[in-house]
Amino acid sequence: MLSPSPSPSSAGAETEDDDQLAPLPAPPGHGQGQGTFDVVQSYRSHLSDEDLPMPIAAVAALTELVERSSAQTMSQLVHELQAGAHKLKQGTANPISLSAGCDLFVRYVTTTRQEHDDFAQHKRSLVDQGRAYAKELPTESRDKISRFALGFIQDDAVILTHSYSRVVMQALLAAHRARKRISVYVTEARPRSLGVKTVHLLERFQIPCTLILDTAVAYIMDKVDLVLVGSEAVVESGGLINAVGTAGLAVIAKDSGRPFYALVESYKFLRHFPLNQYDLPYMPTYLPLPAQHPSRAALGLQTPSLLLSRASSLASLAGSAHGTGTPMPLSPARDQPKPGATSASASTPAPGMTKEQIDQNPEVDYTRPELISLVVSDVGILTPQGVSGYLVGVFAD
Amino acid sequence: MPPETITIRDKPTIKQIESLVSRLRRRQVIGAQETAHETALLLRQIVSVARFSSIEQLIQLIKSIARRLIDANPKEFAVGNIVRRVLRLIREECVAALGPSDEPSTSSPFSVPETPAYPNPPDLAAPSRPQLRATNSLATFMVMGNQRKKPLAITVKPLLIQAIQEVIDELETVYENVAKTARDHIYDGEIILTLSYSRTIEQFLKSAARDRHFTVIVAETAPSYSGRLMATALSSANIPTVLIPDSSIYPLMPRITKVILGAHAILANGGLFTQCGCALAAAAARAHSTPVVVCAGQFKLTPAWNLYHEYAALDFAGPEKVISFEEGGGGERGGEPLGVINPIYDYVKPELVDVLITNDGDHPPPYVYRLIKETYDDEDMQL
Repeated sequence: MLSPSPSPSSAGAETEDDDQLAPLPAPPGHGQGQGTFDVVQSYRSHLSDEDLPMPIAAVAALTELVERSSAQTMSQLVHELQAGAHKLKQGTANPISLSAGCDLFVRYVTTTRQEHDDFAQHKRSLVDQGRAYAKELPTESRDKISRFALGFIQDDAVILTHSYSRVVMQALLAAHRARKRISVYVTEARPRSLGVKTVHLLERFQIPCTLILDTAVAYIMDKVDLVLVGSEAVVESGGLINAVGTAGLAVIAKDSGRPFYALVESYKFLRHFPLNQYDLPYMPTYLPLPAQHPSRAALGLQTPSLLLSRASSLASLAGSAHGTGTPMPLSPARDQPKPGATSASASTPAPGMTKEQIDQNPEVDYTRPELISLVVSDVGILTPQGVSGYLVGVFAD
Repeated sequence: MPPETITIRDKPTIKQIESLVSRLRRRQVIGAQETAHETALLLRQIVSVARFSSIEQLIQLIKSIARRLIDANPKEFAVGNIVRRVLRLIREECVAALGPSDEPSTSSPFSVPETPAYPNPPDLAAPSRPQLRATNSLATFMVMGNQRKKPLAITVKPLLIQAIQEVIDELETVYENVAKTARDHIYDGEIILTLSYSRTIEQFLKSAARDRHFTVIVAETAPSYSGRLMATALSSANIPTVLIPDSSIYPLMPRITKVILGAHAILANGGLFTQCGCALAAAAARAHSTPVVVCAGQFKLTPAWNLYHEYAALDFAGPEKVISFEEGGGGERGGEPLGVINPIYDYVKPELVDVLITNDGDHPPPYVYRLIKETYDDEDMQL
């Protein structure tokens, strides 16, 4: 769902590749030998092609790897592929969506029966299939999804969407073209603010839309008929992994009894079963609690603050900080000056978050399946439970 | 390449089609069971008189007639369901009789072709279509009799007619089959609430009453008052029955141990279209954590979603049952004209339903999508 624009950590590598917007069938002209083929580099160059979503860019990169591979046997090839997939997952900041594509391609290569005696020929047919897949599948599945989604969008519907998603955008445009008078609320979706892009595009097609703050979702929900979101990945429980804020959106939609539909291409189905927000694959835990802060540890206050209620712990913290005269580094969540607490008003914080504060926030969150009404995918309109049925069908031996 | 379209030439059959279309349109034939049965009979007739040279032609013919039937009354979902079921059987019979078609599969490239998207574990698939297996073996037997040289229609027609006959037989025994497990769902001393009149539920409760002693509370279900019919039918079968007005469903709910509802259609997300009033009872049951059980035949499984969210009342009955013309003042009364709305169906959300009891076993609502995948072909979802 995320746009192909690079994550902050990979920004440098991305800009170098911008001149290599080669159309997919032709391998990008790296001029490198087989031995020095860099799968991550290839992935990035495919990604910068505007229309390639992350899982498909991964498939394209792995296809290239197969093409350049010197493997003589199936087992060698699979081994190389798995190493390549691993390298891809390691080499990117947010490999969730990408790994769905990797898993799918590796699964495809391992399960395809070899029809030719000649291994080189078999490899060539794999490459052809991989290319055809990368070329046709994204548009094909998005067309299908927007056709399915059309039925859910009534004339005069008010739709809320989060951030930017190609498939949601296409569904909205399809509804618009089908002469349904839709209006759209779009969340800004901090920190990447891709909602701005959505609004910009919708305005270009003259679809009435309003950009709203992420914090205004609960405020606007009563005016909304349905929620449409894209997704970075759908996990086995049927839950979504999507730009941060989606989970909150889903909770609010559920509370107001609004249907919450996820539009997801089936190549984003990921074999993973997160148990909670912090159980996401390949992602480090964000937002450390201030209890782990070294200066707090020195004060030895963790135990009582855990036992006390939040309000009284705040008061005692403020009191003790005041009493000892030590400047207390408070967490961003707790630095609201409490009326009566004098210590907090010592220095006025600058408006807005600092870059460090933003950076320790997560990029994605996990939306539980019970909050999702239906997952609209190119393999059909599924209940969240249906996703696991599909995944088992694809990956079960 | 679209196959050459064929039409029905047989006069009585054309008449039969027209008659069903107009009866559907005039609401002379209503209710899932009734329409399903009529549709199956019509399809049997069509198959027996159709002159087709390829299976694709026959399927197109059936689909074109199905579209007319559905247009005549789009709220009778059972029509489409029976058509989908029959189309699937036709395909299966043909594959069995003629061997797999030579056409390359039209799946998208690279969709992990070796594994089916929806595996049918043997234990799950087995009870769903036992009769099908039998006809398959019959089909292979007939092919062995060197009938391949005869025209297609002659070879497969008897098989197709037999397959449709099985659907008809299944429809006729649907009540008994739903009621089969009734005693496992009702315990001694229960107080059960039900609404409206449904033959499925009547059979279900009667069957349970052979082994269990329980009381049934029936809401009269205004303005059709079909609950009255249900109450008299049950009490004549010696089941202790209490008839209540709809307005007292909520106050009585604390005493009720189970709510049993019928369904007009079961949607792919597990939600239901039911008689108006059921959504209210289901919501009241949820407020008291009373289990809600739905009894329905498998032919009510519909590959559709409640596209318009909560609002299912898109079909309306006449106003005279709510207020008669005379009571409303007729043409003589002055002032604003009185608006009357009498919706027929309710939409019950899947999360309000605990279990669906069908002639094909008991299932939780989230499993319905899978039953639908197993029962109908993907290409028939849109008729």
